[in-house]
Formats: sequence, C-alpha cells, structure tokens
Amino acid sequence: MIDVLLVLLIFFMSITSSQVLKVDKNISLPVAANGVKRDDKAAAGLINISWDKTTGVAKYKLDDRELDMNDKDGIAKELAARKGDNPKYRLLVRADKDCHAKYISKALEWGAEAGIENIAFSGLNHEE
Amino acid sequence: MKQLEQPADANPGFQIAPMIDVVFVIMLFFMVMAGAVKVEHELKTTLPGNAETSKEMEMPDEVTIGVSESGEITLNEDPVGAPADRLLESLYNQMKQMGQAAEQSKTKLLITVQAEETARYERVINVLDCLAKANISNVTFAVADTE
Repeated sequence: MIDVLLVLLIFFMSITSSQVLKVDKNISLPVAANGVKRDDKAAAGLINISWDKTTGVAKYKLDDRELDMNDKDGIAKELAARKGDNPKYRLLVRADKDCHAKYISKALEWGAEAGIENIAFSGLNHEE
Repeated sequence: MKQLEQPADANPGFQIAPMIDVVFVIMLFFMVMAGAVKVEHELKTTLPGNAETSKEMEMPDEVTIGVSESGEITLNEDPVGAPADRLLESLYNQMKQMGQAAEQSKTKLLITVQAEETARYERVINVLDCLAKANISNVTFAVADTE
C-alpha cells in the first residue's frame, strides 16, 4: 500500500513540477490549446514581448535582458551569434495577447536578419 | 517501579501509519495542483519566402487568411469569422477540407496569415491555433503594410 502511495505521489509531483514556467509576469499569454507541447531539447532564442496598455508600446526582452527596439543590427547580430551553425535553432515568440501584430513582425524581422526561419509562437493550454 | 524496566530511549521501531498519513496529504496536494497546471504550447510557423520553396518548382495552392484590426477573419477576402468568434468553426471546416483536398491531389498547401498592423496578437494566435487543429503545417505569418 505504501509503495503504491509513493508511486502515485511521485507521479503527481512530476506532472505538476515538470514545467515551471519561466514566464515574464507582465505577459498574459493567449490560449493555444491545439499547439504542440514545447520541447526544450531544441535550442531556442526566447523573445518576450510585453505590452503597455496605457502607452500602447511593446517592450522586448531576449531571455531576461531588455532589448532596444531600434537597434536592429545589434539584435540580429546577437541572434546570429547564438544561432551559430545550428540549422534547428528556433525563435520562440512569447507575446502578450493585446500586443499589436506589427510588433510581432518586428521580432520576426530580427530573426530573419539572423537567418532563423523556424518560428514558434507560444500560448497556454487553457485559460487562467 | 515498572517504569525502570522500560528505559526512556527505547526505540519503538519505524511507525508506518503516520507516514502513510503524511504521504497521503502530500499526494492530495499534488493531485489538486495537477488540474490547474498551465502548460505552455507552441505553434510552429516559418518565415515567409524561405529558401525551401525555390527548390521545388510546383506551385503550391496559396491561401491567404486575413486578420483585421477589429478582429475579423477573412479567407481569401471572404469573411469567415466575426470578431467575437473565438473557435472559428467555419474557418476550421474550410481549412480541413482544403487540407484533405491538397493531400489527395498531392499539392502543397501554403497558408499565409496576413495581419493588419494593429491587429491583436491574440486574434492571430486564434487563427494559428485553428490551423494547428486542422493539421496544416505550412503556415507563414506576415504583417500587411496599411500605408
């Protein structure tokens, strides 16, 4: 009995803590229930795009570091350096649901500049 | 004087019953948390105009899905979704048919999601989600210049 209990305990522990989301608290992700589960094995550059409702301006972060929107060449260079010669390198875009589409395309533009053509958009499996 | 016969540091042995109680409580906690866990999903796309298309000369069927500023969805200029329609059933049905037709005729379906500059990202994700549900993988995302 105690064996079974322990096995169940470990099972539930693993499914709850397998994905500790490293989400920027300012970003409320849209819902994309039909997306595939994220695979962390493939290397990915993570772009967080938060949205300021009052000013209507998007803020970009590459991993945890803030990016200057106008420094296109610098960002592209950094992404290219991160990509190296890994053809599977992806750009994972994690944007706020209120964000305007043109800001998303800006991030994609940086990716294109760096030669990354695999883009993934991120969303949650269900509503909060 | 009977107490003297049983010294204070007598080891009562490992008690299994309290441990089961504790394990049970911990398990209940994780069970409850498991329902609320939010998993991040991702929708894969490629950039428009990548090198792959130049290799094969066959023309893929090109479909453009538009996302307007107000949240309206159009499929090759025909409206298919109202702004409040989150599930996009009619778009899903049409895309599913198109996907099957393309599979039968062995042509490639090329979907371009074209959003207006100020369209909301959530709406774009609704469309991409719908396409993922219809099993369509060749999707590109573009933003139209409104100028």
